[in-house]
Amino acid sequence: MGIALSDLAKGGVAAKTKSRTRLISLCVNGEWHEVAVKPRDMLVDVIRDAIGLTGTKASCESGICGACTVLVEDRPVLGCITLAVECEGKQVQTVEGLADGEKLSGIQEAFLDQGAVQCGFCTSGMLMSATALLRRNPKPSRQDINKALEGNLCRCTGYNSIVDAVLQASAQGGVKAVMK
Amino acid sequence: MILFDFDYERAATLEDAVAILARLQGEARALAGGTDLLPSMRMENIKPRLLVSLGAIEPNEPEMLADGSIRIDALSRLASLENSSLLRDKVPMLAESAHVVGSNQIRQMGTLGGNLCQETRCMQLDQKHDYQFVAPCFKRGGDCCYPFPRNKRDICWSVYMSDIAPALIALDAEVEILGEAGRRRIHVEELFTGNGLKPLKLGQAELLRAVFIPQRPRGYTWGFHKSTVRGGLEFGMAVIAVALQIAEDGMTCADARIVIGAVREAPVRLAAAERSLKGVVLDEKRLAQVAAEASREANPLPHHGFTKRHLMDNIRVYLRRTMAQAIGRARSPER
Repeated sequence: MGIALSDLAKGGVAAKTKSRTRLISLCVNGEWHEVAVKPRDMLVDVIRDAIGLTGTKASCESGICGACTVLVEDRPVLGCITLAVECEGKQVQTVEGLADGEKLSGIQEAFLDQGAVQCGFCTSGMLMSATALLRRNPKPSRQDINKALEGNLCRCTGYNSIVDAVLQASAQGGVKAVMK
Repeated sequence: MILFDFDYERAATLEDAVAILARLQGEARALAGGTDLLPSMRMENIKPRLLVSLGAIEPNEPEMLADGSIRIDALSRLASLENSSLLRDKVPMLAESAHVVGSNQIRQMGTLGGNLCQETRCMQLDQKHDYQFVAPCFKRGGDCCYPFPRNKRDICWSVYMSDIAPALIALDAEVEILGEAGRRRIHVEELFTGNGLKPLKLGQAELLRAVFIPQRPRGYTWGFHKSTVRGGLEFGMAVIAVALQIAEDGMTCADARIVIGAVREAPVRLAAAERSLKGVVLDEKRLAQVAAEASREANPLPHHGFTKRHLMDNIRVYLRRTMAQAIGRARSPER
């Protein structure tokens, strides 16, 4: 144990660095927010803790699971490995920005119709990845959907109904709503 | 969450970034996509005092130069490579290799230069060390190696896992490096030291600026394969890139470049296998024989739970299939 403690002390380079907090403005779901962030603050933490939109989930926090996917300038990115300072002045869309007031978006309705939400932790990331896919490719094949959602893990393993939901939202026919 | 403090500066140009990196002498890191750097910082493998963001620098689109070579900005996002019609048309192997990296989100964030400059990986290294290890390993500046306890201090058998580097080496691509002294150009295969402790021959204040892919020769054909367990969102267990040049008769191999990635500290170019392909008629028996020899030549390191035997078998089978795929592509009418 003695080794570990002395190594921790040696490794403490960072303790000398005192980074400065800065004010950045972010446009989240069409609304500009000014938040004070440190360089090490990740986008997902700022969205959840500073702005208070907790629909975006932080799960693995190392860029693996995709639960924190948000759209930055219409590109799906991982909020847990994006520095908030990098997003200064940019347009961010989170899962809260999909619905229009009480009216859910097509992809959200499709997720409900297909029973594609189980525990729900991956859902916000899935919705954002699917939204990005449908914007780029309104008529994706099952294969396209698998490829686009490969970065979103669902530990309930309900992938089939999620892919069905994206197919339903793309209005190509062939998928029946199971929950209505 | 990153548990230590660091500072952040945004560079307006690559030259600015180089100047800042030079000023901090190894205590600063360049941040492009961040998909490799930030997880490494989270695990405290890398502890810079300052991050120099390249996020404000807009990459140029891939372009065809007058001599038929293609210039690709190192800051190009991987997603823009896989979707670029120029690359899909002229160097489909590169587009394919960008297509199999990580996940869609990773490809939207990660850059070509960042993919080439990624750290080597090892299951023991890539996790928070206080989780189960007491002392740091060699690569973290400690004095032991968990997976290979008999290794000496200067040997780290972590594995370089870029999917794109093997494709670039097979294409004989060059990188332009920007440093304080100006620009220099080297072949991609010269970028690697072959030492897991410091995998890249890049100085503290050097950045990749662009990648140049020379014009493909007549009769050129390609094959690319990434062996994975799940088929998505993971690093390869072996990455195979093959570029063949078929002679006029459509049967004989005029030239070959075979590169295996993700099995050693640097991508491995199989010189003996390339020699044994040159000037011979490519039939199935020949390919099987070359692939068997090549799997021994590649000499893979056991990594991420795969045994050496397993990796050799994987390379043997998939190298044969990839070469057959390349030949089939040359003979099919659309290419």
